Amino acid sequence: MNRFSSILADSVLEISSRWVIYLYLAVTLVAAFFLAVLPSFTIEGEDIFESGMISPDMIGMFVVYFYSGYWGFFILLMIFGSAWLVPSYLGRGRIELTLSKPVRRMSLLGMKFVSVFLVKAVLLSLSTVVIWVVLSIRLGSFSLNFVPGLAMAWLVFLVVYAIVFSIGVVSRSGALAIMGYLVISIAAKLLAGRELVYQFLGKSWQIILDTIYHIVPKMGQMEDSYGTLMAGEGFADFYPVWSSLLFAAVVVMGALLVFNRRDW
Amino acid sequence: MTDPAIEVNQLSKDFRLGWHGSVVHALVEVSLNVPRGQIFGLLGPNGAGKTTLVKILLGSLYPGTGTAAVNGHDIRNPSARRRVGFLPENHRFPPYQTAEQMLYCFGGLAGLSRSEVKSNIERLLAMVDMVKWRRTRIRKFSKGMAQRLGLAQALLNDPEIIFLDEPTDGVDPIGRREIRDILKELGRQGKTIFLNSHLLAEVESVCDHVAILNKGRLIKTGPVAGLIASRPSYEVETTGLKPEVIEKVRAGFEQVTVGEKRLTVVFDEAVKINELVDLLRQNGVVLVAVTPVRLSLEDSFMQLIKESGEGGRDEQV
Repeated sequence: MNRFSSILADSVLEISSRWVIYLYLAVTLVAAFFLAVLPSFTIEGEDIFESGMISPDMIGMFVVYFYSGYWGFFILLMIFGSAWLVPSYLGRGRIELTLSKPVRRMSLLGMKFVSVFLVKAVLLSLSTVVIWVVLSIRLGSFSLNFVPGLAMAWLVFLVVYAIVFSIGVVSRSGALAIMGYLVISIAAKLLAGRELVYQFLGKSWQIILDTIYHIVPKMGQMEDSYGTLMAGEGFADFYPVWSSLLFAAVVVMGALLVFNRRDW
Repeated sequence: MTDPAIEVNQLSKDFRLGWHGSVVHALVEVSLNVPRGQIFGLLGPNGAGKTTLVKILLGSLYPGTGTAAVNGHDIRNPSARRRVGFLPENHRFPPYQTAEQMLYCFGGLAGLSRSEVKSNIERLLAMVDMVKWRRTRIRKFSKGMAQRLGLAQALLNDPEIIFLDEPTDGVDPIGRREIRDILKELGRQGKTIFLNSHLLAEVESVCDHVAILNKGRLIKTGPVAGLIASRPSYEVETTGLKPEVIEKVRAGFEQVTVGEKRLTVVFDEAVKINELVDLLRQNGVVLVAVTPVRLSLEDSFMQLIKESGEGGRDEQV
């Protein structure tokens, strides 16, 4: 436990020392300010929520869209803020000292992965709670419906962080990790709509695209579950969730094996 | 315990430069033992394999062939690093941490509890004269300050064996003296110290034993005093030293340095001075003085490296 708390403390100190922490704070405050102060919810001088101009369902949809967009943007920021953490951890002059401690390599890197994820998940949660408080005051309703959606946002971040982490371990480059994430993310979105182009493709190409679709993580489809989860209806489709988590587990395990076998 | 602190047996390590590049033999069948309580110096020119050996012993590189044990444990086992301290060369401590935070983090990784680290921090920071900088971020430290903090970090877990790679690099002369005194004190406490240094005078003043690596091969190991005394050297002052005589001396003896009216010759055996004196007298050279010269470790080192071929690594395409 001493070892994990040391790595966790190191991750907290490193993340809080980077400029991106101010960006998280700024985004949270701007969003809270937007919800709390700006008269953007008024039409012809009347507050759309208090006047009953729109139905509770529409308000619910607005809340879901707001959280979805907010989490999507925040996760993107977190990815940019996390991509350089592992290459920095594996940098020359530092990794030799870390590896000289009596800890198994796989445990060492596994603990680093978990610690960074936990710190980022806490940051996402804190930011979401600030938004929730302001939004709840604004709407006059303190519903905890956002919690399952937040849990799904953690899972989405877990999957994308697994990609960035693994590429970072193999390449020791934050820039490559970001590029790798973007490529996989775009590929996942394109593959989600693969059936639209099936009429132009032969059978073998359809099988290839299907196979790739099933392998790559499906972050976009995971995000589609925000709405149903926040409405208390469970997962829209559980397959994208477990297949993406399986992909994350495989790439993280691969990164741990590479780290374990490599000379540093 | 009677087993050596460090045991290296026929250790080899190759590196490939690029996918299809040449193979560099960083270590070639190196064997050495470091008994407990010894201050051991590892010497060699740049690229000789010193840091490679330390990195293998401390788990950041895997050995190619051969075996090694630290504290009686095979180096592949993390237990080998349980009572070990390490100060790497060109270290890059987390710049966002303060001195104290860094000690807590690396102490925790070494398996110490927070209270154990806390009880050691004050003493160690005082020892390296860093108490007043304990809450300053490392990014603001000079090279020498970071080096002293690194030494405190290496001693945090009360190690039995301390690996120091260029410990006085970037430290001012006063700091160097202080670090040397710390190392001597640790030696008196019975700690085993494995010192990697380019500063031969430093090694000579601190170490009991040394090993010299060149091109990945161990070319000499033994007590510092023995290494120096094993190379008898004489300075011969003369009159009438002609170029043809110098040529004859060069032909008969391997290590000859010629100055104005002076010859300095290093022998394999002390008795060979007689052969030199005979040669000079037969050629009409008048001897003014024959003075034994005490070689420094640096002189011995330079001669050994010269004998084994210039520094660097062996490469094979």
